[in-house]
This record gives sequence, C-alpha cells and structure tokens, in this order.
Amino acid sequence: MNEDSKTPAILVENVSKWYGQVIGINDVSLAIDGGVTGILGPNGAGKSTLFKLLMGRIKPSQGNVKLFGIDPWSDTSPYRRIGYVSESERLYDWMTAQDFVSTLARLHGMTRDEANERTEHVLEFVGLYDVRHKEIGKYSKGMRQRVKIAHALVHDPDLIILDEPLHGCDPLARTSIMNVIREMGRQGKTVVVSSHILEEIERITEQIVILHNGRLLALGNLYAIRDLLDKHPHRIVITTEEPRKLASAFIAEEPIYGVRFPEEHKLELQTNDLSAAHSVLPRVIVDSKVSVSRIDNPDDNLESLLGYLIGGE
Amino acid sequence: MSKDLVDLDGGQTRMEVAYGSDDGDSDSMAIVAKKEASLGIIFEQNYRPWNGNLGPRWVRNYAIFRHHVFGLFTSKGHRHYNPFVRLTILVIFLGAISPIAMLFFASLFGGGPDGFIDKMWGINRSNLWGQVLGYFPRNLCYWPLLTALVVGGMISDDRRNGTSAIYFSRPVTRVDYTLMKYLSVAVVLGFVIIFSYMSYYTLAIVFKGEGWAFLIDTLPMFLSGLLCSILLVITYTSIGLALSSISQSRFFAAIAFLSIIYGTKLTALLVEAQFGSSILHILSPYDCLAHIGQWLLGLEMNYSHSLSLSIVSLILMNAFSIMILISRVTSLEVTRE
Repeated sequence: MNEDSKTPAILVENVSKWYGQVIGINDVSLAIDGGVTGILGPNGAGKSTLFKLLMGRIKPSQGNVKLFGIDPWSDTSPYRRIGYVSESERLYDWMTAQDFVSTLARLHGMTRDEANERTEHVLEFVGLYDVRHKEIGKYSKGMRQRVKIAHALVHDPDLIILDEPLHGCDPLARTSIMNVIREMGRQGKTVVVSSHILEEIERITEQIVILHNGRLLALGNLYAIRDLLDKHPHRIVITTEEPRKLASAFIAEEPIYGVRFPEEHKLELQTNDLSAAHSVLPRVIVDSKVSVSRIDNPDDNLESLLGYLIGGE
Repeated sequence: MSKDLVDLDGGQTRMEVAYGSDDGDSDSMAIVAKKEASLGIIFEQNYRPWNGNLGPRWVRNYAIFRHHVFGLFTSKGHRHYNPFVRLTILVIFLGAISPIAMLFFASLFGGGPDGFIDKMWGINRSNLWGQVLGYFPRNLCYWPLLTALVVGGMISDDRRNGTSAIYFSRPVTRVDYTLMKYLSVAVVLGFVIIFSYMSYYTLAIVFKGEGWAFLIDTLPMFLSGLLCSILLVITYTSIGLALSSISQSRFFAAIAFLSIIYGTKLTALLVEAQFGSSILHILSPYDCLAHIGQWLLGLEMNYSHSLSLSIVSLILMNAFSIMILISRVTSLEVTRE
C-alpha cells in the first residue's frame, strides 16, 4: 500500500491528450490505490494513451498525471516504485533470464549481490527458476511474459502496471500469471492491468476502469456498476422441462418483473435486483416441484456490461 | 484388471497379450509406458518483499555503461556481438599497437637515432600525429571500421526492438541514457585509439631507455597528440551515435558512417585534384581533425585553406550530430505502442 495514505499511487485529474485532430484521452479523472484494477476498453479506447501518460512517454495536453504525487513527465523518480510490463517491448534474446533480470535490477541501483539474490527470488515467484540459465530467445511466449513480469517485480515496486500481460499466452501460463497478479494484489500493492480478454480480467479482479473513445465510461466494482444500469435489467435463464409452470410461480414474486421464453425449454426472468431474485429462486423452484437442469446469469459479466456501456453511450 | 497386474508407476505388467507373435507370448509380459510426461506445474508463488535501498544515480548509470561495454566481451550485454566482429576489433587493436612491437624489435637489434626503424616508428612529431591521424591504415581502415562496428546497434537496436522502454520505465532520464551510450562508445574507441597511443609513447621511452630530458622534450608533442586523439574519439562518437539514433538498422548506421568518412574525403580529394583548392576538406571530419592535428603538433600543413575553417567545421559537425542525437532520443518511445 502507498506509504503516504493521502497520496494515491495513480492520480489522473481532468487529463486530455490530443494527437492533432485525434483525441487519445478526453477529460479523464481517476485515482487508483491498492489492489488489482483492470483497465478495459475496445481498440482505440485510450488504454495505451493512458499507459503512455502514466509512464511519462507523452505529456498531457491538459490536466495532471501524478504517480505517488509526482508528475512522471518531468521527474523519473516515481519509477523507483513502479514496475512496468509493456506489451510491445522486446527482450534481449541472447541473454539468460537470470542475466537479463539481474541487469535490469542493477538499472534500479541494486548491487550485484542484491540483484542476483532478488532475481532468483522473482524468477522462482513466476515459475522460471529451473530454466533461469536458459537463453530468453528459447523461451515460449508465456515464459517471455513471465520474464517481463519478473523484471517488473525485481525491485519490489509499490505500483505494477501491466499492459496486456496475458496476450499470446497458453492457458497454463495465463493461470500462473493471473496467480502472480492476484498475489501482488493480496500483498497490498497497486496493480493496474489491461486486457481485452474480459473473462480473464473477471478472474483477476472486480475493480475495473472502462474507457471508450478516450472517455472514462465507468470506474469501480464490476457488480456495483452493473447494478447501476437500470435500463438494462438483469436476466436469469432457467433451463427446465416445464418453463410455463415455473414462470407462473415466479411472476408473483416481487423481485421478478417480467418473464420470457427465449427457447422451448428455457425461462428467462427479468429483475432489477439480482441478489433478491437469487434469494427467492430456491424456494420458488422447490415449491413449484419443477425439475430444473440449469440456471444462468447471461448478462452478469464484464462482456455484457461493456456491451451495455458502450452500446448505450 | 486387478491392481496387482498393473504397475501404474511404469515397468512391466502381467496381462493377456491379445496380439503378438511368438516372442513375448510365452511369458505373458508387456511393457507399458512410464509416466514421465508432466501434465501441469504447480509452483509455490510466495512473494517476499525486498527491504533494501536502491542505489543513487551513478550506480544506475554505471549499470547502463557496464551493460553496453560488457557485450563486447561476453554475451550478457546490450548487443550480441558476432565473433567475427569481436575478432575484427581485436585485429584493429593489434594493428594500432603494432608500432610498439617494432620499437621493441628496434631495441633488441640496436640502431641509432637515424636508423630506419627509429625514423619509421620512433617518437617524433610526424609519428605521434600519424599514430592517431595517419591516413593509412588508421584513418582509412582502423578507426572508421571500429566506429562503424561499435555504434551500429547502439541506439538503432533500441529503436527497432523497443528495448529503450526498459530504460525509460526505470528511474533513468533521457540525459543519463544518452550520456551513458555516448560514454560507452567513447570508452571502447578510446581504449583502442587513445590507449594504443599512450602505450606507444610510454613504451617507446621504456624500450629506448630515454631519460627525463627526452620526456620533457617530447611531452608537449605527446599531449598535443593526446588532444587530437580525444577530439577524434569525440567526433566519431558524435557522428556515429547520431546516425545510430536516426535509424532502426545497425547496418544503416555503420554504412552511413563509413560513407560520410570516405565520401567527404573522396569528394574533397577529387575537387582538390581538379581545381587545386582544399576548401572542400572542411566537409570531411577526418581532414578537419588532421588539419587541427598538424597545427597542434607543429607540422607543416597539407591544406591550403584557413585552419579556423577546419576548427569551425569540426565544432559544427559535433554540435549538429549531438543535436540530432538529443532530438532523436527525446522522441524515442514517445510514439511507440
């Protein structure tokens, strides 16, 4: 957690960035401190521009960007406390993971012994300890992503920024990287992770930032944001042999305000209060004595949330 | 099949052999695959915080410098040098120090101060100038080739691969990045050019058994030559790095450097041969340095144009190169991703 409790790790205040006539980011304000936060948005949403602003690569056309209270454009000192995993950056393929990560540890000002000891630990943490003396060029994509994460963690940063860390990884590598990200969040570090694979963000965190066309669409807990979308009611789809009998039982319940039959053996319940609807669900099913084979919440996920927010803009 | 018949850890199991010829049927044994394939990995993800203190700016800058120079000797540096490139640099270095060997042989075989070896390789104004600024082989082959090999991927590799992000996502400023790149190239060039020059002068005194009087007589000449060698290293580093910073190809930087050095020299020579004017030599970095070197060492000038033109030209070349370098490093990574 940030040492200075009054200063968030990331503070973006009314920031806009224009590339000539093109808007990269438009009047975005947000503060992030502690835990894992997912940055979401389709291509061109402004995720890369936001990361460039955070990493001091570009200067905002308007507004302020602060990392631990310091403007990264004019002062590189916040980077002592930041670990950054870039999507596009390539590695030194001819070096071993041990040499590469320890070299980068020394770029942070560690001594040789400190760098070597710390490198071994982070490579063990990301699961590359046994292959640390192998050249990076011989690594798989997932292993290379883990090397990037290792070099971002080697100096024990307080803020970790990961740009598409799961891109191109196989399922095993994805799982281990997600475990690493969750563990860093549990350690109280601020982790900001972007991904276009929404299911993976859902598995990592419920705290999200949604960008679209350079604007901030939503910020906060995934389910809290979902509940705020009044004009898009929650749906519960029940698969049963007797959907009409079950519908008549549900329609009398207060949280349920509408029913549909999208397919022959399916009943769709519509509600504005998902948790209240789920609380009555077991009782109504038992009382109706109808056999139910499956219950789904098709729109209680990030994908539909993103669809609603972007589509309803 | 009972558990006794199946060895799940591998090895052999007793079973009915359904398909088989004579061999093996009689003992009713078959070999099953050993369970060696791993289906997954579970590793301990215990993160341990680090409570050490990160070093100051000079420690980081030394790490950048070391990372770049180290690559020449091992495979752990900024660039993977091909063994042939390393061999070429070694040959250049041996060529640069070859007069030392000649002086050594001269000391073994004797010979007076007017002997052939002493005239060719002994300490005098011309030889001190020639050790740094002589055209063949040093400025035709050694120094331009050495510079081209060293600067080739120094910044262009970062530009192509995006590895400059590695520096700029750390507390490394663009000034530090540029200075350390510059210093790395200058140190490698300096090691070959300046070190060979200093060794030549020092060992010449040792081999010939000269005394303090000789040292006092020749020291100003030596220092002038030293200044020339420093100017040469600075100029070649500035031009080379500027070319490396404008390209994503190490080949371009190397060829462009050689083209500038040889092209300007050749053009100036052709114009001089045709029109009898040496003025175009101010476009040639080598000729500017040679002109200034002749003045510093008190040699007869080979150039008909004013010395001040060469000095101004050399300053402008360095300033322009450094301006390009700064401009390109400032824009590095800004438009990436």
